[in-house]
Amino acid sequence: MDMFTLFAVKLIQVLIIAQVMLLTVSYLVYFERKISAWAQSRVGPNRVGPAGLLQPFADVLKLLLKEDIMPEKANKLVHIIAPIIALFVAFTTYAVIPIGPDITLFGLNIPLSVAPEIDMGILYVLALTSIGVYAITFSGWSSGSKYSLLGGIRSSAQMISYEISMGFAIAGVLLMAGSTLPTKIVELQSGWMWNAIVQPIGFIVFVVSAFAETNRLPFDLPEAEPELVGGFHTEYSSMKFAGFFLAEYANMIIASALIVTLYLGGWQIPYIETLGWAPEIVIPLQIGAFAFKLGALLFFFIWVRWSLPRFRYDQLMDLGWKVMFPLSLINIVWVAAIIMIFGIK
Amino acid sequence: MAKKKRMKDLTLWERIYLPEVAKGLSITLQNMFRPAFTMEYPEVKFMPQGSYRGRPVLVLEEHGGERCVACGLCSRVCPALAIEIQAGETDREKERYPEKFEINMLRCIFCGLCEEVCPEEAIVMSKDYELAFTKREDAIYGKDKLLVPVAELQDRIEFLRSFK
Amino acid sequence: MGKIVLDGNEVDFKQGQTIIEAAKDAGVEIPHFCWHPSLSVSGNCRVCLVEVEKMPKLAIACATQASEGMVVNTNSGKALEARRAVMEFLLINHPLDCPICDEAGECKLQDYTYDHSIGESRFTETKTNKDKRVQLGPHVMFDGDRCISCSRCIRFCDEIAGETELTFVKRGDRVTITTFPGKELDNPYSLNVVDICPVGALTSRDARFRARVWDMSHTNTICNGCSRGCNTEMWVRSNEIVRLVPRFNPDVNSYWMCDNGRLNTFRFVNAESRVDGPHVRREGKLTKVTWDEALGSISSEIKGINGKEIAFIGSPFATIEDNYILSKLAKSLHSKNIDMPEYIIPGSADDILIREDKTPNSTGAKLAGVVPQKDGLNLDGIMKAVKEKKIRVLFVMEEDIALLKPEYAEALKTIEFLFVMASNFNSTTEFANVVLPAATYAEKNGTWMNFQKRLQRIRPAVTTLDMDRSLDGLEMSRLDKFGTKWDRWGNYKKYDARPSWRILVELAGLMGDKMKFRMAEEVFDDAAKHIEELHGVTYDEIGESGFELTKKAVKV
Repeated sequence: MDMFTLFAVKLIQVLIIAQVMLLTVSYLVYFERKISAWAQSRVGPNRVGPAGLLQPFADVLKLLLKEDIMPEKANKLVHIIAPIIALFVAFTTYAVIPIGPDITLFGLNIPLSVAPEIDMGILYVLALTSIGVYAITFSGWSSGSKYSLLGGIRSSAQMISYEISMGFAIAGVLLMAGSTLPTKIVELQSGWMWNAIVQPIGFIVFVVSAFAETNRLPFDLPEAEPELVGGFHTEYSSMKFAGFFLAEYANMIIASALIVTLYLGGWQIPYIETLGWAPEIVIPLQIGAFAFKLGALLFFFIWVRWSLPRFRYDQLMDLGWKVMFPLSLINIVWVAAIIMIFGIK
Repeated sequence: MAKKKRMKDLTLWERIYLPEVAKGLSITLQNMFRPAFTMEYPEVKFMPQGSYRGRPVLVLEEHGGERCVACGLCSRVCPALAIEIQAGETDREKERYPEKFEINMLRCIFCGLCEEVCPEEAIVMSKDYELAFTKREDAIYGKDKLLVPVAELQDRIEFLRSFK
Repeated sequence: MGKIVLDGNEVDFKQGQTIIEAAKDAGVEIPHFCWHPSLSVSGNCRVCLVEVEKMPKLAIACATQASEGMVVNTNSGKALEARRAVMEFLLINHPLDCPICDEAGECKLQDYTYDHSIGESRFTETKTNKDKRVQLGPHVMFDGDRCISCSRCIRFCDEIAGETELTFVKRGDRVTITTFPGKELDNPYSLNVVDICPVGALTSRDARFRARVWDMSHTNTICNGCSRGCNTEMWVRSNEIVRLVPRFNPDVNSYWMCDNGRLNTFRFVNAESRVDGPHVRREGKLTKVTWDEALGSISSEIKGINGKEIAFIGSPFATIEDNYILSKLAKSLHSKNIDMPEYIIPGSADDILIREDKTPNSTGAKLAGVVPQKDGLNLDGIMKAVKEKKIRVLFVMEEDIALLKPEYAEALKTIEFLFVMASNFNSTTEFANVVLPAATYAEKNGTWMNFQKRLQRIRPAVTTLDMDRSLDGLEMSRLDKFGTKWDRWGNYKKYDARPSWRILVELAGLMGDKMKFRMAEEVFDDAAKHIEELHGVTYDEIGESGFELTKKAVKV
């Protein structure tokens, strides 16, 4: 592939993924409201369009038309940059996540991931999500409001704490795969050799940490409404608020995609290759499998939010340092033992 | 009531927390398949019982006059000072009547004290809950809006009598 | 002097006093309906029954003379039982129409029912029906059902008003009150029967149904109807005067006031003709302007005019403070022409309250300096000089001089500059170049002096635009306390008016004579400093019941 074709292909990929992300995010909000309604024996949005399906567009329009308020005591530059960072992190992370195996289209071999060749692979994800902390810390500090500041501080403490166990959990996966490339990790989980089954402790640690990293209930202390009004985004309005809002749901998708990739076999459908079907049938099925797994996880995210109460802050820290961190260490030992006994594949 | 459990009273199974999480999730999941309670308001309207305290109204007798004698007790007892009355003289048997009777619906808190204190059963809480206005002035209800025929208020009057 | 034992305490009594009087002096109230301190004893309501030791039966406290060593129990079991029985009897035929009755809230029967009744009646038969809505006279309505036949009103007409007009007719439970054939309740004090009626049987046609007592504020003030200066309470609702009620003052008016004072003297306060905001004549028409503009136009007009060409008319209706500042201003402008009209109607007086002098403050205004100075002109002289164009500028304070004599009106047509401070538009303001709105006696603090040389305080009961009920310490009703400006009752009419003395102080300031008065009390203190008769008198000394200057002379 020459440079130009590569560039064109990547551009098309980026555009598709970005559009799909945006659309998914807006419908994720719709489903969040629908699922919460179902869980509470309500109807949920049902006025805009059939069954309320156009509600996300109404929401977006409303946010666009709202007055953009800049607090008087805010640090203006940082205040504006914060939601941009949040959005940037949310969207760029997606570059390394494969949604299917390589395909051949118009004579070109195209990997179904924007940047499959990045050597650091998963580490890239870790690096970017760490930057995400800045978005929240910046927004909290720059708003010039005590609620925002407290929300920001809580958030950074929480994210740093859980990033450690998350990193160790990933270490288990990397040990197993012997590579940081997501495509490789997925390929190694063929059959039922899903990492979720092989290293269940690591899976649980990672899922819990993912909830904490995305600030979803039961870990949404940065924006705990009863105590902090809106937390770090108290002083945000209009599209700047929408930025955080988008980023939160985009992060949810990324977290789910990561869980699917690292623990649930990515696009793999167990033993489909034994059926001997043509790749024209298998690959769309595999992409569908990825989407299905992703959807199920997103549902799980929302479902948990409307079922569990929020942790107290000390409980959150206890859980992070006294439970998740040791568990992740145990997981590494466990994985190392497996590798020692069965040898690296 | 169940005895309050402390951290130290919890069994190991409970302390692991994950099973409890699963229990919680199963409850919400079950709920998702139950029918919704929601009443789709503008199309379907809530029909309150006699015990409902909607906006206060004045009883309009069958002969066309109000029951109210403008004694001023409702105005006096109103904790939100929503009621203003100007009495006047009539030739009717009860020589006093409200020349002006205004309730500021922005002030009204629907406590029903006016109804409770009324010696004539002349002001009662109706079932009307649709109270939207676009101007402060519109929120002041005069006699034209307050007088409601006694037949429409039968439910509430019966409810009040059953509790006397 | 002797001592009786009242409920276990030794209490002094004067010879000839009844038990109820002795108890009242000692601060113990024995319930009573028919007894009134200024009326004869009738003893028919029986609610004042008390137990007196060594008497075989209970005695009525209003008709039993106190004697040395008497032991009286007002709250013994027997007395209480008797009182409850009397209350039950009184309530047998009294209708339960408190919601309609105007007396509710200040009704003796209502109060005593709460205090001394068990709250139940064993009477199941139908109540008697008597005449309702009977017009006893031009001002008083009678409701026979409510009457408890205490006879206070009958005794008042006989003993105080001196005209026998009312009487009982029929007997037993059909007894009712009516006027004698061919007569009606039209004596000049007839409305006092409304005040003394312990129930709502007698009501004033004027104030009937206009406001509940608990919705009004009441302010202690003075009647402006004549130089008696009856002490009154002014009852106000939504910044409008609803009624005037006499206030007890043994030295001036006892418990009474005349119908004219009660009904007519305050009408101008809420009248349509009130001057609202300063007015200046432009192109022949009085136009509303700002205070600064109006005051500025006066001071620029007066500047450079010789004091001999300026004259001042004060008023016996204005306060001592107003008249004092007017005379002060006259002095600072070197004018000696200052006087005021008199309103004496010979033969109009009676020997109860009404005086010939129909103004509340003629003695006070004279004292304050509104009398022609040496070589100065009096009222007639001033008006003649106006006609002869010797006087070019005339100040008129709260007076309608054009109405007094036709030649005055004639003279005013030719005046160069007429400045009027008036509460209402009248025939004098028609000629005025500048009209400034003067606050009425119901809107300002001040002092009046009656014919006895007794200083009495008037207080604001109605607010003007630059006043605030709570900040300026006015009496407040419940609605005044809790209403906001967004409520209708908080949005009542307020006139843009100021006390005359304040207008004159501001004017003097513009003309270089800086008088530093912010309150009426400061003006009075200044007057007390400069006027010999007032030396040492303060507002505190005047208090609620007034201060007689002749007494001070004895005291000093």
